[in-house]
Amino acid sequence: MLGLKKFLFKNASPAHLPDDIKAALESWRSQPVTALDEAHFHTRYVVIDIASTGMSPETDELLGVAAAAVRQSTILPDDAMFLDVESATDAQALDRQLVALLQFAARSPLVTYHVSYVGGFLQRLFKERLGVDFQPQWVDLAWLLPALFADKSTSVMPLDQWIAAFGLDEGSSRRSAMENTLMLARIFQMLLVRANGKGVDTAAKLIDESRASSFLRRTH
Amino acid sequence: MIMSQQVRPEQQTAAAIAEVEAESRKEGRRRVAGNTIAFLRNHAPFNKMAADALQHFAERAQIAFYPAGSEIVGPDSGNVRFFYLIESGKVQARQAGEVTVTEYSILSLGAGECFPIGAVTAGRPSTNIYLAIEDTFCYQLPAEDFMILMATSPEFNLFCTQYIASLLDQSRRQLQLQFAQKASEQQTLNSPLIGIGSRSPVTVTPDTPLRKALETMSEAGIGSLVIAGEDGRPVGIFTRSDLLDRVVLAELPLTAPVSQAMSPAPFSLEEHATAYDAMLAMASQGIRHVMVTDAEGRLTGVVSERDLFALQRVGLRQIRQSIDSAHNVEALQQSAGDVRQLAFNMLAQGVGAEQLTQFISALNDALTRRVIQLNLENHSFEGIDWAWLAFGSEGRDEQTFSTDQDNGIVFECADKAALDALRQRFLAFALDVNKDLDRCGFPLCKGNIMASNPQWCLTLDEWKEQFSSWIRVPQPEALLNATIFFDFRPLFGKVELTEAMRRHLLIQTQSNPMFLRAMAHNALDVEPPLGKLRDFLTDLEPDHPGKIDLKKYGSRIFVDVARIYALAAGVHNTNSVQRLRIASQRLSIKTEEINAVLEGLDFIQLLRLQHQYLEGEPGRQGDNLIDPEKLNELDRRILKESFRQARKIQTRLKLDYQVN
Repeated sequence: MLGLKKFLFKNASPAHLPDDIKAALESWRSQPVTALDEAHFHTRYVVIDIASTGMSPETDELLGVAAAAVRQSTILPDDAMFLDVESATDAQALDRQLVALLQFAARSPLVTYHVSYVGGFLQRLFKERLGVDFQPQWVDLAWLLPALFADKSTSVMPLDQWIAAFGLDEGSSRRSAMENTLMLARIFQMLLVRANGKGVDTAAKLIDESRASSFLRRTH
Repeated sequence: MIMSQQVRPEQQTAAAIAEVEAESRKEGRRRVAGNTIAFLRNHAPFNKMAADALQHFAERAQIAFYPAGSEIVGPDSGNVRFFYLIESGKVQARQAGEVTVTEYSILSLGAGECFPIGAVTAGRPSTNIYLAIEDTFCYQLPAEDFMILMATSPEFNLFCTQYIASLLDQSRRQLQLQFAQKASEQQTLNSPLIGIGSRSPVTVTPDTPLRKALETMSEAGIGSLVIAGEDGRPVGIFTRSDLLDRVVLAELPLTAPVSQAMSPAPFSLEEHATAYDAMLAMASQGIRHVMVTDAEGRLTGVVSERDLFALQRVGLRQIRQSIDSAHNVEALQQSAGDVRQLAFNMLAQGVGAEQLTQFISALNDALTRRVIQLNLENHSFEGIDWAWLAFGSEGRDEQTFSTDQDNGIVFECADKAALDALRQRFLAFALDVNKDLDRCGFPLCKGNIMASNPQWCLTLDEWKEQFSSWIRVPQPEALLNATIFFDFRPLFGKVELTEAMRRHLLIQTQSNPMFLRAMAHNALDVEPPLGKLRDFLTDLEPDHPGKIDLKKYGSRIFVDVARIYALAAGVHNTNSVQRLRIASQRLSIKTEEINAVLEGLDFIQLLRLQHQYLEGEPGRQGDNLIDPEKLNELDRRILKESFRQARKIQTRLKLDYQVN
């Protein structure tokens, strides 16, 4: 019984959170999950990337989060978000930023490059700060690209190589988190067209394809 | 008030979350925009635009991907919703439909290029199909934001305006092409005989007595006579030279049938043979006439050597010479026809409306001067200073093909007692001139604004007083008169008199600001026929539904505004284009702005000329009523832009003279 209760309420907000954040989390939890059987054109995807002090979600620190929605296959400047985690003045300010990110993501499928990296950082932070088990529907471009663009590469490779393969301008200097997000968003726009062409025409199918490709590659 | 101070803590912090979210979203938008601006900075015209205009573009522009082979926007997508800027890839612009309205049929666009500027400006569907021919990313700015940028960024506005101006240029070339085709149809030796020469030749039957045949020729004033049988087939031709050889010298009695004197079996060609065939036949067979017959061999016309020469283009110099050496009105009538023909040729050769109307005016001036000179042989004004004045469109050098007379006389009369008698002499002279001008194709003025009207045959002092009274009391009628009489120009006689009139006019108007304001008020009565929902308002003239009066709702707006600015800036010219150019310099209106306005006026004038020449029936005065539905898409677009320019300059006038 106790175990079951713990399982059922493991997402419950930690007691230390202020009421407004608790309330916001409750309302987020009660939001319906985005229907995933719609065509890509009708699905709002959120492309997300982070800046961090290093590559390890366990030991390094998150500095910033850049997210941009792709709706009707279009990137809209009005539907973007940037969290300056690094310069959050206090714990509550950070918590509110994280809640704002949850509200922005609004249970849309999240798109990134290497879920293990991006998702790892976010998961740790959401768990530590808000007690939230952050398990969104991920689309991992790192694994999906070689699966859908086998004509360009059949193996997982660094993002810069994909950018070059697509003939996109990679810019001279190092990309910021938002620049990287926008680059991923453009690649994702191209990927949606390719996916449609291969019959992967809903968000659900795309997420399945993403999972399958990463599973196959990791185990075989 | 008290309620709002008692906010519960969680409400306050809920507002804090909303604030954080709004702040983070704002920062997100700012950073997306920063990414876009980095691209814009590398491309014209964005690299010249102010920071806030760029920021607006970047914060509103969406990024869309179009795979190779997909259509981005086309005529079927409805009114254009976005202004597109290519970030990467290649886009092909292709004319929709079969008719090419611009000189290119396929155009390739690359990174940094924009489309469809004309359509998004006009808020209508694109005429081109824009197809991604490579994988293409575009920034797409919603149409309403495009309009905001047009209004707030002068650099962006200039870029788009110039682009549309280049469309104007293309359309003009298209128009000229149409004329060239019609001109060559009419003029080359490839045209069929059916359209050349006499279409209903005078004929007699072979048994007609010579006397009767000669009488027929004399009555009809012709030099040759076709003899045709009962079935209408030509059997012979009798000419004046035959009279000498075959009648007089052969001592043939005048009672003999004409068949005995005619040249039998005249050379015939079918109607569909060309002028070239006729010319060849004349040259090879030494004949001067070719019978034109239908398929059954029945006579339908005669082509003479002279008709074929008339096909050759008439030249400016020959016309001037023939006008200046004409000894009677009949010769001038011929020249008047040549002026029309030459104007048409020039239109075909690509002369713009401004030059063309001035050119028509120049030849018409020469013609009028000659009519005056010929009449001075019967009326002498030795020792009297006087001048013949042209008013209205003639006074402005803006005559189109169908312009009626607007003229007057100014003269000096020192002896008051002799004034009435002198005026009567001028009126008699003017009446003769007015009648002769009418015979040369300048119809009498319906409003009787002619030198033969005592109202407009005045001494210098009377003209000055007339001008002053209009300016002092700007009643509606005075204002109407001002729009006609203040555009005066001397055609013949003592130019100093008209200069004195002009100086008087400018001094008077500049010391009466109320008058110019009343003129401005009057000029704003008629607005360009732009619809809020439809492109054009075509129901303004109840008698002509579906049509737009290009003079009343088009060129007149420009002309009225030009007159006011010219009077305000002390410009002596009467031509609207010159008035606007010079006045804009004096009033420091931007050159680009005034050029766009002049382009608009030029286009409307060109459309009027085209309409009057291509659609006017021969011998009938052409009108200014066009049906916008019958214009091609590009012309319609440019006409709309031209009307917008009319509205623009009206708005300026409204501001300058504070007319509401």
